[in-house]
Amino acid sequence: MSSSDTQKTAPPAERRLTIAKAMSEAIGQEMERDPSVILLGEDIGKMGGVFGTTTGLFDQFGTDRVKDTPISETAFIGAAVGMAASGMRPIVELMFVDFFGVCMDAIYNLAAKQSYFSGGKVACPMVLMTSVGGGYGDAGQHSQCLYATFGHLPGMKVVMPSNAHDAKGLMLSAVRDDNPVIFMFHKALQGMGWLGTIAGSISDTPEGDYDVPIGKANIVREGSNVTIVGLGATVHHALEAAVKLADAGIEAEIIDLRTIAPLDRKTVIQSVSKTGRLLVVDDDYLSFGVGAEVIASVCESDIGPLKCPPQRIAHPDIPIPFSPVLEHSVLPNAEKIRNGILSMIGDQK
Amino acid sequence: MTDIIVPRGQWEEDQEAALATWIYDDGATVQAGNIVCEIMVEKTSFELTAPADGILDIEVAEDQVVTPGQIIGTIV
Amino acid sequence: MNSNENRRLWMYANMVKSRYFEDLIKPAYFEGKSPVFNMAKGPIPGEMHLSDGQEPCAVGLCAHLRNSDTVTATHRPHHIAIAKGVDLNAMAAEIFGKKDGLAGGRGGHMHLFDPAVNFSCSGIIAQGLGPAVGAAMATKLAGDDAVAVAFLGEGAANQGAFHEALNLASVWKAPVIFVIEDNRYGISVSKSDCTAVESNAVRAAAYDMPGHHVAGNDPDAIFEIAGEAVHRARSGEGPSLIEIETSRLEGHFMGDPEGYRPDGEVERLKELDPIPKYRARLLADGFEEADLERAEQDARDIVDQAFSFARENQYPEPEEAYDHVFV
Repeated sequence: MSSSDTQKTAPPAERRLTIAKAMSEAIGQEMERDPSVILLGEDIGKMGGVFGTTTGLFDQFGTDRVKDTPISETAFIGAAVGMAASGMRPIVELMFVDFFGVCMDAIYNLAAKQSYFSGGKVACPMVLMTSVGGGYGDAGQHSQCLYATFGHLPGMKVVMPSNAHDAKGLMLSAVRDDNPVIFMFHKALQGMGWLGTIAGSISDTPEGDYDVPIGKANIVREGSNVTIVGLGATVHHALEAAVKLADAGIEAEIIDLRTIAPLDRKTVIQSVSKTGRLLVVDDDYLSFGVGAEVIASVCESDIGPLKCPPQRIAHPDIPIPFSPVLEHSVLPNAEKIRNGILSMIGDQK
Repeated sequence: MTDIIVPRGQWEEDQEAALATWIYDDGATVQAGNIVCEIMVEKTSFELTAPADGILDIEVAEDQVVTPGQIIGTIV
Repeated sequence: MNSNENRRLWMYANMVKSRYFEDLIKPAYFEGKSPVFNMAKGPIPGEMHLSDGQEPCAVGLCAHLRNSDTVTATHRPHHIAIAKGVDLNAMAAEIFGKKDGLAGGRGGHMHLFDPAVNFSCSGIIAQGLGPAVGAAMATKLAGDDAVAVAFLGEGAANQGAFHEALNLASVWKAPVIFVIEDNRYGISVSKSDCTAVESNAVRAAAYDMPGHHVAGNDPDAIFEIAGEAVHRARSGEGPSLIEIETSRLEGHFMGDPEGYRPDGEVERLKELDPIPKYRARLLADGFEEADLERAEQDARDIVDQAFSFARENQYPEPEEAYDHVFV
């Protein structure tokens, strides 16, 4: 054994979970702590949720607090709004965000406006958790992200974790928030065995109580040459691109938004004032999107001229195609990020 | 040194099992009881927990077929 | 053979064609998804919802339909598409995401459109009902006697769109037939756990239309009831609701571990497989073994051809993703 072996210290112990496990753990712990929390949705009972969000909770809490619903989103989300008005804390699952079309009134007209229409007297402490994202061939009605759709409408908070630690912390914050929170979880990050999972989503997650604040972005990588803003899966694409960029002497600062609404403009503006360059990457449709909002916010600020025009990479303004050759060509990925930054930087630094 | 062993008797003998996901990287520090990997048998998942505290030494990679009783890694 | 016998043989042949199609889809779907089942991999990624066991519903209805009659279907569409006469080569190519698929690979298995036979399907529960009412109204307003048929699952009968579509169809006297394939499960939740009534047929009364309940997953019984409903629609009398007890022999989607099914249920259902049952009945009714075998062989040949076509067809170019967003 060489001396370097004896001096090598073991990495600290981590308690790694998938996002699915982190979500169900957060919900279970909060249900234990707070008897007013109730869980509703399709297949969230014995099945534990199609995406594993409620595994084990039916066995633990039974049918009074974990309720499988009929395929009646308008009714059960509306019912959740009413439960929330009556002092309960419902957590509702909308299986795919793409299904919002059948029940949006209950979300954006009822849940989101309950406080406003009551002068703050009637809260809506409800969490709507919903799966987003594609890349596995589920086609145009089961692969959408819709960050901008939900971020755009007033009266609700919208969060999306990129890893298990943030998922548990954001879920705890969401359930404890007295306002409606849309909790989006990305299918490519969820940790289901039958759906490919981006490895970086599995992360160290404390067993005890903690929270991740809603409305606060996280700088997941520091750098000085360019700011990359991402959320969910695109954070991991950006991290992958950053490794290759570092080889070319370009250090990217990567911001994980974590919350879509309220958007943490301050963290982004501070970063761009340091780097002078901005690239926003999101896998929602391009136009009128998260990228547009982040870029507009930076341009409106007083940080002065940037070193080059800000850019965004997103899914184009087309329905998400089925055939993998089509779908993978339109989705954001590390290669597109790398190429985008190389062309932004050009000959300068 | 403690072996991480694919359990016996949890699925039919003729069903093929495969190691789907390692939750920790090779060389990570794990604690007894942590879920360290997921095995898939057709469409069902089985989680394996670390039998002891220590450093994880991975012996079988993801996407490989595994059999009941097989040692897929050790805790050093 | 008289027309009745021809029709029964047609129904049998299409059930065989349908089942054989699904039998070829299964191994193709699992290609690349082994040893670990990863839905994103292989020549057919994404979800796959197979229709094994539900074939009688498709043939019992479609035996009454012409090309000009409209059919809307769900995320579990193959048996209905086949019975409606969708171009099988293009359908298979679409499922494989190929260039000469019905939508050049843009839609995939849940979003099949074939305007030549007025067939379409899509993946959001109960959302095919409105379009079926619309198609029915279009032909009515044109003075035509074409009808529309909307297929849905029993779980969809709890969705708002179902109730709206039935009410509207009744108010407008639309020549539409709503056909519920009751396979007892909405993914993992059984019908009795989420539906206020035992038979959705009784819900028809709420919308002032006839409601029929057909048990036994029997093509002939389905054909008969469907005949009444189609005749009523063609005569301008308005809509009907039919609920058919059928069985889902596979999981909700390929890869579904089906932990929610009671032990032995799938085995029992497979013993009641409607295709061998119907074959036995046809023989007992005097059909010739040779005729059945020929029908089976022809059905398989057509499906084999479709799969060869799909496999050999090329993939679209990436830039083709941008085509047809608008016409």
